[in-house]
Amino acid sequence: MSLLAVSNLTKNYRRTGKPVAAVDDVSFTIEPGETLALAGPSGSGKSTIARLVLRLIEPDAGRIEFEGSDFLALRGVALRARRARLQMVFQDPLAAFNPRATVARVLDDPLRVHGIAPRTERPRRIAALLERVGLAVDLAPRAIHEISGGQRQRVAIARAIATKPSLIVLDEAVSALDVSVRGQILDLLLDLQRRERIAFLFISHDLGVVRAVAHRVILLDAGRIAESGDARTVIDLPQSAVGKALVAAAPRLNRYRP
Amino acid sequence: MSRLRRFLHTPEAVAGAILLAVLFAMALSASLLFPGDPQAIAGPALLPPFQDWSLPLGTDRLGRDVLAELFHGARTSLAVGLAAAAAALVIGAVVGTLAGFAGGLVDEVLMRIADAFQTVPGFLLALAFVSVVGPSLGVVVAAIALGTWTGPARIARAEVLSIRERDYVAGARVIGMHPLEIAFREVLPNALPPVLAMSSVIVAAAILTEAALSFLGLGDPNRVTWGGMIAEGRTVLRTAPFLSIVPGIALVLTVLGVYLAGEGIVETTAVRRGLS
Ligand SMILES: Nc1ncnc2c1ncn2[C@@H]1O[C@H](COP(=O)(O)OP(=O)(O)O)[C@@H](O)[C@H]1O
Ligand SMILES: [Mg+2]
Repeated sequence: MSLLAVSNLTKNYRRTGKPVAAVDDVSFTIEPGETLALAGPSGSGKSTIARLVLRLIEPDAGRIEFEGSDFLALRGVALRARRARLQMVFQDPLAAFNPRATVARVLDDPLRVHGIAPRTERPRRIAALLERVGLAVDLAPRAIHEISGGQRQRVAIARAIATKPSLIVLDEAVSALDVSVRGQILDLLLDLQRRERIAFLFISHDLGVVRAVAHRVILLDAGRIAESGDARTVIDLPQSAVGKALVAAAPRLNRYRP
Repeated sequence: MSRLRRFLHTPEAVAGAILLAVLFAMALSASLLFPGDPQAIAGPALLPPFQDWSLPLGTDRLGRDVLAELFHGARTSLAVGLAAAAAALVIGAVVGTLAGFAGGLVDEVLMRIADAFQTVPGFLLALAFVSVVGPSLGVVVAAIALGTWTGPARIARAEVLSIRERDYVAGARVIGMHPLEIAFREVLPNALPPVLAMSSVIVAAAILTEAALSFLGLGDPNRVTWGGMIAEGRTVLRTAPFLSIVPGIALVLTVLGVYLAGEGIVETTAVRRGLS
């Protein structure tokens, strides 16, 4: 049984009166511990799919099954509880955190909300999470805006794994980082996946990164699936027009070898 | 620190701060310098100012010490002004946050209620409220807040509407945080600065409204108020104009002080935000 099974997912937005399909009849599955990449040009619907899968927005049609149950049927308390298993890392780690927050508070929130550890034990859990993502424990009291972009994205990953999820959606999570930092974050993600069998829905417009980290890839074009399959096979020999254009635009495809 | 320095380099702000400091000193020292009932008879009636140094500002129609009344009146003005403004800001921030964050029907209902409050002029609303419920300090505070909360509510709502689309709000939902916690812990504190920027105008308006209510005899009858003193003096305006002029000047200086100091704070924090 798949970890996530999305079928016939559709989302329309109204632009100047007439509806435009941001996501048009998209179906895919993700297996436990697998990385599925969503690639495609800007505006092809990648972020909309991420938001639909996370129930940040509601689809116009389609089904989402997560861990064997109908994810779209969940409401209120049940939905909030299930969110522990399905996490997200955003592109801009500065925008993704409350500007007033400290590192400790950002990591404390999921532990508190899901009752994972009593108050007295949470500082220890926070320290363990920081260590797990390769950050110094004394970063905890610092304000989010005081630390570097790479550190911030590590905090975002620590927050995402705090509730022991089975799936993490990463929407352009490494796109805003320097090349060297990007490699380190990708290494960290792959290590997490190996040890804890977390699946990733990995969204990126960078086929070099996709080829390095993804098992399978879906190429999107204007909200529809243009092509999908094994990541290396698709990227090395794209069949669709979008695939060919994306490959032609990618500077060097084997830059990352984590 | 540099914010304080910039504040001190703004002459209007410093003038406002000094006026406010004097006012607070008057309010705090009122029962120390003038113990006992300020409404008790202290000397001959209608003694002009600067005649008798035990009654420096003279006495009113009933022989009450004008200076003592002025000090005790500062207390009422400040207490009512600050309490009413605080209540209006809190109600406004909470209602605006709920409306902006929840959207839909909740937003619709709350904003229609705000509309209803706004169609009636704030002073008339306060007047009607006090007339119906009866004058006491708490009622006056509530009455003023009732006519004032809609401004902060609208500003808070507008700010929340933009904040709720930010990634960190989505992030809070993703970790399963309760919507009310998201609204009040994640969104509201970040929506506060423009709301707080209104507070000097709101405090100044609240002080004036309190004075106007007291002038019309709708203030707390057990407390000396500047509005009440002005009304008292009005009956002998020709023969003893100082009885109205003294509390009138106090009122003007207070409102000016609140406004200048408040603008000074907003100005210096805005500059700071612009630089960072
Ligand atoms: N809230 C929205 N309102 C209207 N249109 C939207 C909204 N969000 C996304 N869209 C449109 O949906 C399409 C897909 O957007 P998005 O999923 O953000 O693409 P991507 O992440 O692949 O760049 C775009 O045409 C975009 O303009
Ligand atoms: Mg996007």
